[in-house]
Amino acid sequence: MYDRRVVRGNTYAQQIIPTVNLYLEELSDVIVASDIECQTDAFLDKPATPLFIPAKSGKDVETQIEEGELFDFDREVQALLEVLVGKTVEQSLEEVMEEEELAGLRAQQRAFRELRNNELEEVLRLKEQERRRSKEKERRVAQQKEVLRKEREVAEKIAARAFTQQYLADLLPAVFTSLRSHGYFYDPVEKAIIDDVARKRQEAFKDTQ
Amino acid sequence: MPKCALLALDISGFRVKLLDKHRMAGSPYDPSRAPVAYGRRAVPQLFSELQQQEAPRRLRALASLADGRLLIILQEKRAEALLTLVPKLMLKLREEEEEEDVQVLLLSTLSSCSCLDPLPALASDGVSLLLHKLSDSSTDIRREATAALMALSVCEDGMRQVCEEEVLPVLVDLLRDKDVEVQANAAGVIMYAAIINEGKRQCLDLDVIPILLSLVSQDGEEEKDKERKKALVMYSLRALTALAEAPQGRCLLLEQLPLLGRRSEAAEEDQDIRRNAQNAVRVITWTPCNTGDP
Repeated sequence: MYDRRVVRGNTYAQQIIPTVNLYLEELSDVIVASDIECQTDAFLDKPATPLFIPAKSGKDVETQIEEGELFDFDREVQALLEVLVGKTVEQSLEEVMEEEELAGLRAQQRAFRELRNNELEEVLRLKEQERRRSKEKERRVAQQKEVLRKEREVAEKIAARAFTQQYLADLLPAVFTSLRSHGYFYDPVEKAIIDDVARKRQEAFKDTQ
Repeated sequence: MPKCALLALDISGFRVKLLDKHRMAGSPYDPSRAPVAYGRRAVPQLFSELQQQEAPRRLRALASLADGRLLIILQEKRAEALLTLVPKLMLKLREEEEEEDVQVLLLSTLSSCSCLDPLPALASDGVSLLLHKLSDSSTDIRREATAALMALSVCEDGMRQVCEEEVLPVLVDLLRDKDVEVQANAAGVIMYAAIINEGKRQCLDLDVIPILLSLVSQDGEEEKDKERKKALVMYSLRALTALAEAPQGRCLLLEQLPLLGRRSEAAEEDQDIRRNAQNAVRVITWTPCNTGDP
């Protein structure tokens, strides 16, 4: 192997070697190095593929619908419009009729209710009138009964009084006659004189005994 | 918000044949109505809708309630449905948080229910609630409140309550209201209240006869007004008839016979008004001898 750093052969003999400056190299620890890097390029957008336009072949043909060829607008639109407008008008007519019917119903109800209230008031008024009158009749009948009862009572009282009077009319003379006959009515002077005479006769009789 | 100005329907004896169109309650096609559950669930379900906070839902539910079909259902399941419905309606009305539209519908529903049966509303103190609504600034509310009051005053209890709660002075004021219907309804309540003695007494105290007479007289009446004023004239005549049964009223009305006579002649085109006027004249001129009573 040839390594320039290694001296081969005799080192002593080196002294007479001609200058090897040219062949000398600086020895260092630093290893000469150089950096090299490699990097792939970033992906580039693939350019758009060009349209594949085949070569023209065949015959060119064209067609065009002219006005009036497909359908007659005026004729067709009539049917369409009829349906559209007709349905709208029909719907609105129905709604209006419905509202009118409801309004009519409400008016009818209101009229009915007014008449009903009218007649009901009359019925209630007459009922109350009847109640008042029958109450009044009852009161008057009761009043009359009371009057009759009082009259009867008065008549009975009068009759009782008359009878009593008649009964008592004879009572008094009869009593007096009876009393008189029993000697309850006397003339005090007469009695005094008679008593005196009787007493004197008694005493005279006693004296004679 | 759609104004659902529905008329309250009086069903008794009057069948309603509604068009089978999208206005029928329950159809999904009408956005202004809430769908109605079938049969007994109708009322509770609609009421739960009413409890919701969003006004549009409530309005729709209310529109369904006021609608005729529901009232037909109500008539069939009368007692229980009315008994539950009426107190709830009144509660909602008392709250007063609702807008005018909703209040009008509530009152109109109450009106229809009371036409079927006035007792539940009377039991829930309806008269005082309606009295409060009579002074509302909205014509619609006044109109519906007076209509409901008229429905309530049809029974004796109602007449008595109207007299006790001092409703009559307010009604006499409403006789001079700008709206013809309000006037007519007020006259209606008065005509019922004047049936009982207490009502007659209060009406005479309030000097209501001249007002009624002015409503009945034809001065300055135009052709187009006649139709609208028919109810007003009829009810006023009935009220006058009722008041003529009291001695004081009879005295006042004997002087006004010519006016009433005009209305009772053949010149009066409307047959009902003519009959009412003739009846009034008959009652005013009644004497015990000419009744034919034994």
